[in-house]
Amino acid sequence: MPKMLLSCTINDEPAELLVQPYHTLLEAVRDVARLTGTKEGCGTGDCGACTVHVDGRPVASCLVLAMQVRGRDVRTVEGLAANGTMHPVQAAFVAHGVPQCGFCIPGVLMSASALLADNAAPSEAEIRLGIAGNLCRCTGYTKMVAAIQDAAGRMSQ
Amino acid sequence: MPDTLEACQQALADGSDVKMVAGGTDLLPQMKNGLVKPRRVVDLSAVPELKVMEVGADGGLRVGAGVAARALELSGPVQTGFTALAEGAAVVGSFQIRNLATLGGNLANAAPSADMAPPLLALDAECVIAGPRGQRRVPAADFFLGVRRTVLEPDEVLVEIAIPAPGPGSGGTYVRHTPRRELDIAVVGVASQLTIRDGRCITARIALAAVAPVPLRATAAEARLVGEAVTPGLIDEAAHLAVAAASPISDQRGSAEFRQHLVRVLTRRTLATALARANGLSVTRNGVN
Amino acid sequence: MTTVMKTTRDVRGVGLSIPRFDAPEKVTGRTQYVGDVQLAGLLQARLLRSPHAHARLLRIDATRARALPGVRAVLTAADIPELKPMARTRAHAMLAIDRVVFGGQPVAAVAADDLAIADEALDLIDVEYELLPVAVDPQKSMLPDAPRVADRGTEADTSEAQAHSGIAATGTQTTTQAPNIAQQGRLTRGDVAAAMAQADLIVENTFRVPMVHQGYIEPHAAIADFDPNGRITIWSSTQGSFACRAEVAEVLGIPEARIKVIPMECGGGFGGKIRALVEPLAVLLSKATGRPVSLIMTRREELLAGMPAPGVIIRLKTGVKQDGTPLALEAETIVEAGAYSGALLTMSAVFLSSVYLWPAFDVRGFEVLTHKPSIAAYRAPMAPQTHFAIDSQMDHIARKLGLDPAEYKLRFLQQGGDLMANDQPWAVNGARECMQALTAHPFWRDREAWRASGGRDGHGLRGTGLAIGGWVPNIQPTSATVRLDSDGTLAVLTGSVDIAGTNMGLALIAAEAYGVDIENVRIITGDTDTAPLTGLSAGSKTTYTVGAAVAEAGEDARQQTLKIAARELEVSVEDLDLRGDSVVVRGVPDRSIKLSVIGKRSNTFGSKVPPVLGSSSLAFDVQAPAFAAQLARLEIDPDTGEVTLHGFVVAQDVGKAINPLGIEGQMQGGAVQSLGFALSEGLLYDEQGRLTNPSLLDYRKLTAADLPDIETIMIEVPAPAGPFGARGVGEPPIVAAPAAIANAIEDATGVRLVELPLTPEKIALGLVARDRANGHA
Repeated sequence: MPKMLLSCTINDEPAELLVQPYHTLLEAVRDVARLTGTKEGCGTGDCGACTVHVDGRPVASCLVLAMQVRGRDVRTVEGLAANGTMHPVQAAFVAHGVPQCGFCIPGVLMSASALLADNAAPSEAEIRLGIAGNLCRCTGYTKMVAAIQDAAGRMSQ
Repeated sequence: MPDTLEACQQALADGSDVKMVAGGTDLLPQMKNGLVKPRRVVDLSAVPELKVMEVGADGGLRVGAGVAARALELSGPVQTGFTALAEGAAVVGSFQIRNLATLGGNLANAAPSADMAPPLLALDAECVIAGPRGQRRVPAADFFLGVRRTVLEPDEVLVEIAIPAPGPGSGGTYVRHTPRRELDIAVVGVASQLTIRDGRCITARIALAAVAPVPLRATAAEARLVGEAVTPGLIDEAAHLAVAAASPISDQRGSAEFRQHLVRVLTRRTLATALARANGLSVTRNGVN
Repeated sequence: MTTVMKTTRDVRGVGLSIPRFDAPEKVTGRTQYVGDVQLAGLLQARLLRSPHAHARLLRIDATRARALPGVRAVLTAADIPELKPMARTRAHAMLAIDRVVFGGQPVAAVAADDLAIADEALDLIDVEYELLPVAVDPQKSMLPDAPRVADRGTEADTSEAQAHSGIAATGTQTTTQAPNIAQQGRLTRGDVAAAMAQADLIVENTFRVPMVHQGYIEPHAAIADFDPNGRITIWSSTQGSFACRAEVAEVLGIPEARIKVIPMECGGGFGGKIRALVEPLAVLLSKATGRPVSLIMTRREELLAGMPAPGVIIRLKTGVKQDGTPLALEAETIVEAGAYSGALLTMSAVFLSSVYLWPAFDVRGFEVLTHKPSIAAYRAPMAPQTHFAIDSQMDHIARKLGLDPAEYKLRFLQQGGDLMANDQPWAVNGARECMQALTAHPFWRDREAWRASGGRDGHGLRGTGLAIGGWVPNIQPTSATVRLDSDGTLAVLTGSVDIAGTNMGLALIAAEAYGVDIENVRIITGDTDTAPLTGLSAGSKTTYTVGAAVAEAGEDARQQTLKIAARELEVSVEDLDLRGDSVVVRGVPDRSIKLSVIGKRSNTFGSKVPPVLGSSSLAFDVQAPAFAAQLARLEIDPDTGEVTLHGFVVAQDVGKAINPLGIEGQMQGGAVQSLGFALSEGLLYDEQGRLTNPSLLDYRKLTAADLPDIETIMIEVPAPAGPFGARGVGEPPIVAAPAAIANAIEDATGVRLVELPLTPEKIALGLVARDRANGHA
């Protein structure tokens, strides 16, 4: 099958990727753009490890055909930090001792950053719902919630 | 990758073994599990005619098939005027799924557990379908033929859903049972919509998901309510009748016995909520919008 | 090591709550897992798996697959002379030869230029099966005429049993009477029949726990590069690079020295990655193609054909006096191990009869084979299942007798010196302190008010439950080195895979033992070429064993450093102290020498200063049991059976908290896995042995929205032989939640449920049954 040219923006930079028509956005990001921070945990949208932003909204990139983001804005975990400064939620995850094995973390950060962009002062229930699409096996989520609350507090200052 | 409805139609006319994709939340898992292996895929995600979402002068709602569940969940007019639909949209998957999953995809995939289907049946919605033989309208209640089968021909596209204004004194809700708070498929889902005038029920709709090959209405239960003052005792009777309308299977998500039990429980609860909302009372769910 | 090292040094070391050093790279997506490794010419592999649980493999033809452009190799059993007809273990059965023994067993392996081609190639492999009768129900599988699972002549594989458990196996024997009973054992004490005859209350229950997947988010993954010049390099997601190397060597008949295993960051293991699974086939595919090959399982393959925790059925019959005094316990434990043996029977007997003390007991255990994927370990193997049984039983007895469940359990809970079932004494431990921490908690003190508030004002039924969970970690010899670098910092080298934040703990131990601040220490995880021999990161033994080695190596390095400083400063070692970044003469602060100076001098041409390299090699014979008690406060929707957890508390004896921040994470993560056992997880098979829930949609792991904050209470009862008194912390927190939840459900509803998971369906229908029995509609 001939490849197709995907033109989009990835992490604020214009990107032109040669992709197979059947490539998912996850495959395009990891295998073609070589941004390997985003992970595959299940391939069927049930775990959240592949979460990226498309036009600012968190989506399961394993369920998006790569060509469906033509002309759109994609952000991965590599694009969360700005000018070498971590996003507040990344810094909070470090300070609170959140990452253990680390495999779910990029996906959680993408969900959390999207939540905070939409809701500057989320309640605990709203945070838990905001990351409910991200399965983590190591942490039990408690420190994630505290870290996101902490980041929300800092962002509103 | 059509960017108009017309281009889309042409793409579909071009051959067999073609699948349409919008949000991909049903098609891609099916492709990965080897259930479908299309030669060509038509991407609907950039077709503007599928994205309409507006309330007309008559109070009716038009929602394009390409509108994402998350948009329905968040829409103020849908929340207030067509609450059951907003609630059905709000429980699909997770945020990462709801930002992709479309109303049209949920219907066209026609899983018995589709969460946005019972609200449409309860709201007397119509499906607007476009094809080479012209446009046609099919009531949502007649749209589903069986598990993963609808009235859509291979060269037809579901364009939008039209929902008449429920009118004054009307209230509705959709509730489902799942083992987890998110990410699950409904074990049983019930949408109820009641219109009350002068203390009596003038229309009743009760629609069930995941208890039959297709989403369906519990018409005997509905009939029991029409013309009556809706009391808790009457609600119990209707709930009992709704069980008879269901023919659930036992599978790894739930036994038939449990599903029948849930039909009674959720019918009772949704009717009580629909009644309260029809009477102008605000009923919120535990949790978040 | 027989003395507890005291933390007397004034450094930022043991006891410091500090984020992991690798956290910044994890939150920026820079950490490299197997799937992120990029190699020139890397091929992608896929496995063709049997759809049938038990079948003869009549014919397999890969001609069409091999002809597909982009396919570089297709292997079936016929292509692999290393495959032995009698597969002794799961790794030996990497491809079925003439008989498939579980659904999902691989029958062919493909390596291709990309995954899409590999997937397409699978469809082009023609396989003919002859279906055979399946052994699916473990109890039926125990019968003499059950369809046979194992090849005749294979031994029970107990290598996994030894890797994990700390309890000496006694009395196990194989039997030829029933073909699928791979192990059986019996532990007895006293005269059970006579004691039972004295009982005022006899309670009998059969507890059931399904097979459960460890649930790591990163599937099994390995890349193998077979260099025809002799060396094989394997990048693996593994919990033990040395164990992996040994197993690959054994299975493929290759000398260990030819194999280098590089442990990549492991995206979760929990016991599921202590054995080789995909590595041998990756090696063979690389050998066949002359290129590096990546083999990463899909989620569906993981659920279908991983190495789960066993299914367990425990029939428990207990007799007690009217005041609750335990008299006799009779138990029969059936452990379903899948197609290959590997269960820990003795652990089960100890937990059933010796966590709470039973004067007379007769505990029989059977390991049964069925046509399902074989088990490995899952975080405290056999402990959650057996504690579910015994703690539920104790709790139920208390309620039947009108006794407070916590007081009742505390009366008969083991303490140091009491005898375990195998007649070894329990080592000193903090089980009682953990329970007492929970009974002092407001959730327990306010349980009556909580229950009374249920069922009214729109609330569901409310209850509170608690339970104890224990684990006896195994021990494994290990070694470590500590090196002073020329910048004055320490480099600690182990082969320990850091799956649980243990590296941070090891770094803190090194800092404390040597005498510098943690910021001057780094941990290096070596591969099997460069690291000193290190045991599995499993069994809650890493901190206890590798930590002890690191402590001793750190102390050794300190002594070497002081000796060098003594010569340079012309004083005796006793006059020296380590302070900050220097060695100083006590009382004479301007006489000092920087660590970096010592380091530099040891790396300078012509210098007389030797490099400082502390090392330690240890084997152990003292174990340290570790307990964690858990408490659940919940509310139940009486109509739908949905459970809302309003609070969950873990009180755990950690011995000495090396890194409290890391330990909290372990306690919370383990508790949530325990709650998964309790509420939602189970691999469900149909009568043909097919898995009916091979996706995360229907294999339900709890989400953040299903859970409250997990509160943690750390208790410190030092382990005499642990580094600074530390105990293993990884496993205890997975044990107690199933019993705690079942106990809370009985508290709220009066219904005692004995089959996991405790789903809304079971609760709702249990309530319906209760109401019917009480004469309500």
